[in-house]
Amino acid sequence: MRVYIYFLCVLCVSVAKDLHMKNIVEIRNLHKIYSGGTHALKGINLTVKEGEFLIILGLSGSGKSTLLRCLNKLIESTSGDIIVNKEDVVKAEGKNLRRIRRHIGMIFQQFNLIKNLSALTNVLTGRLGYVSLGHSITFSRHKDDVKFALENLRRVGLKDFSNKKIKNLSGGQQQRVAIARALMQNPRLILADEPVASLDPATADSVMKYLGELNKKDNMTVICSLHFLSLARKYGTRVVALKDGKIVFDGKPTDIDDKRFKEIYGEETEEVKIR
Amino acid sequence: MKKENKITAIIKAIITDFLFLVYIFGCISFLVYRWVEFRIDNKFIGLSAFIFTILFFFIGDSLGRKAFFPSKKTIHKWFKTFWGWFIVTGLLVTFVVGWNLVEVDFIKFFMQFKNAGGIMSGIFDPNFDILTMSLTALAETIYLALLATVFAIPFAFVLSFFAARNLMPKTFIGNAVYVIIRTIATIFRSIEALVWAIIFSVWVGIGPFAGMLALMIHSIAALTKLYSEQIENIDTGPVEAIKATGASTLQTWIYAVVPQIISPYLAFTIYRWDINVRMATIVGFVGGGGIGLLLLQQQQLLRWHNVGILIWLIALVVWIMDMLSAKIRAKLTET
Repeated sequence: MRVYIYFLCVLCVSVAKDLHMKNIVEIRNLHKIYSGGTHALKGINLTVKEGEFLIILGLSGSGKSTLLRCLNKLIESTSGDIIVNKEDVVKAEGKNLRRIRRHIGMIFQQFNLIKNLSALTNVLTGRLGYVSLGHSITFSRHKDDVKFALENLRRVGLKDFSNKKIKNLSGGQQQRVAIARALMQNPRLILADEPVASLDPATADSVMKYLGELNKKDNMTVICSLHFLSLARKYGTRVVALKDGKIVFDGKPTDIDDKRFKEIYGEETEEVKIR
Repeated sequence: MKKENKITAIIKAIITDFLFLVYIFGCISFLVYRWVEFRIDNKFIGLSAFIFTILFFFIGDSLGRKAFFPSKKTIHKWFKTFWGWFIVTGLLVTFVVGWNLVEVDFIKFFMQFKNAGGIMSGIFDPNFDILTMSLTALAETIYLALLATVFAIPFAFVLSFFAARNLMPKTFIGNAVYVIIRTIATIFRSIEALVWAIIFSVWVGIGPFAGMLALMIHSIAALTKLYSEQIENIDTGPVEAIKATGASTLQTWIYAVVPQIISPYLAFTIYRWDINVRMATIVGFVGGGGIGLLLLQQQQLLRWHNVGILIWLIALVVWIMDMLSAKIRAKLTET
């Protein structure tokens, strides 16, 4: 009897673990050829488990941005399968696609905020996927949305900045507003396309800290492209390296030594240390 | 270079050379006719142009070859190439023909100044007795320009979204909508407001309403072009970001495009009002009402002192509008 219970327990735990660690992103044999003829992705196979903080390393032009944008179909892939949250992204269109996108937050290198609007308005735009067309045409805001937006702004440490215009904020503050906007979507997955590439090292770390917190506290999956190995080691749970549209490394951040690093970034590169 | 591309490039090159040579020979034959009254047959021009085209094409570096075949050979000085001489000949012939057609005559310009004496004295001695009447007409002009601009805004605003390349999907329908709206706007813009005024003065009768309609049509076309070009120049980052939140196309337009274009749109609109005030004067000449109509009447009655005050008033208003709109635009576009 005891043995039975023991086995049952083990089974339960493993099932629970399995459930817990289910795949949130599955990419199979993904190719992207741009109309100009550039072969940006050459057969990517990648599975991302829920709760991972996946760092994508690689030179500019290695296909990082393309890969991230294929995941929410900002760029249409040429061939291959992409499953996000158990839904087929490649085939999704119209309403379906918008529903999928709604649960994927995205953060950009250039922040991509609307510069002459206030931080609060920008954060509220993250809710557009949930808002009816009538409400968005008349610019009416739902009370709960505003409350949620203010809460998210507080979360990224910008409580007092809600009425400031974006163009009057610093780069780090802008990126934090962008994170708050992504949070409005209640995302399960956050895509970050070089979120700290246009920030100074100290600000970069603070922005990464917020992403790390979302990953650990809210169990959001983060896929983030980066250039700095030090940040990758600090926040990433797993690293994938791209080179010429192919995955050349997949493993733990700590497994990347100098030799690996040079393989990814080319022979002449030295690792840039920040902090 | 691919084979099809090469063939189209050859065809384009030959057509370019041919048209250019036909133009040059045509100009020369026109000059020959003007000077020695000798008519050169059109067939002869076409034939010789064709022969020379083929000849130049095979000898090399003709204009068409230069334009459509990126050459790998060493670059010569322009005067050592055929295309260089092509262009020089073209410019020279154009200038001479232009001089001939326009009947440039400097002797008339310098010797007949006293003919304009009446109007000059009118300008320097304006008749202030008709000031009230002139100001009424002037107000009419300014208001008709304002209304034309205001009525044009909603049409141009909506149309501009469909005439912006980056917003229209790259499908057949998207392209068709873009091309149709752009083409219609271009056609309507290339028909002068003057012509529209003639049409509408017949349609609704002579008066400021006809002038307003004429300026409105022209403004819609012009603003559609300006607005849509502004949309094509927006920062695409926010558009991408809003799209990624799961927003629909219309939501993306409202929240990512509109905030970026509002102030340049206002700037363009004010600029357009400024232009419309100027155009309203001209439009008045052909039945569009306002101060233009008054000016025409006084000029035909040869009352040069009345014409004088009208000219001063128009100049004053145009100057004020110009300055105001420049000031407001500078305020709007500063970021």
